[in-house]
Amino acid sequence: MDVLTSLKISSSGLAANKKRMAAISSNIANAQTTRTAEGGPYRKKEVVFGSEPARDNFSDILEGELEEMAQKVHATEVISTNKPPILKYEPGHPDANDKGYVAYPDINVMEEMANMISASRNYEANISAFNTAKGMAVKALEIGRN
Amino acid sequence: MDIEDKTLKALATSLKFRQMRQELISSNIANAETPGYKAKRIDFEEALARALDVDGQMGMDSNDSEHYDVGSGGFNNLEPKIYNDPNGIVSENGNTVDKDDEMAKMAENKILYDASVQLLNKKLGLMKYIIGGER
Repeated sequence: MDVLTSLKISSSGLAANKKRMAAISSNIANAQTTRTAEGGPYRKKEVVFGSEPARDNFSDILEGELEEMAQKVHATEVISTNKPPILKYEPGHPDANDKGYVAYPDINVMEEMANMISASRNYEANISAFNTAKGMAVKALEIGRN
Repeated sequence: MDIEDKTLKALATSLKFRQMRQELISSNIANAETPGYKAKRIDFEEALARALDVDGQMGMDSNDSEHYDVGSGGFNNLEPKIYNDPNGIVSENGNTVDKDDEMAKMAENKILYDASVQLLNKKLGLMKYIIGGER
């Protein structure tokens, strides 16, 4: 039980949301990408969040119930979604298939923007939590000062 | 008079549990988008009130220090309840965190924490004054 755990939890939230933000940026930037290293059009990236106990030290876990309940968040994996690409008829395009269709990634930029706002709000909420925990720690140092 | 009286113990306990609550709120906010995560809550007010036993109705009298503390239980074995919030609205990914609710609870918790610290300081100041630390 210490204030550092709160800070650790909040910073895990910051890191996870940053990762999500990176995936969203990548999706928006590559909304029109038809050629990738693994071949074919770009595939939309999605970050999966998972929770894990905030303490991994065994003796800490023995301390009590809270230790299992307070959870950090982490981006467990980045998946490439299997949404089928959108085919557009562009015969002159270098990536067009033999029928003249180009496969574009099925990325809805509006949806990505909405996700971006959500990630940004989450990031801010974690900052608030971080600052509150910090404020409590600073306040605790004032005990018995006068 | 015991130098560590009920007030000091109660304030210290409240600080401890408010810090725990902050930890759980941090956890809820960090996991606001985690699939399947359930919002966590801690209840300690009732246990603290029981330990404080202001009206003397909760505990049983004892006339020996070896007697078990029956009823009020004292401050040492206070066990707060930590549980998954049953009232949360489940979103499509099984998450029950309401971020606004968490922020409100966090603000409230912080204010009460600060209040406890202030009370603790007043109490300590009073003691200092009594023992002549303030000249």
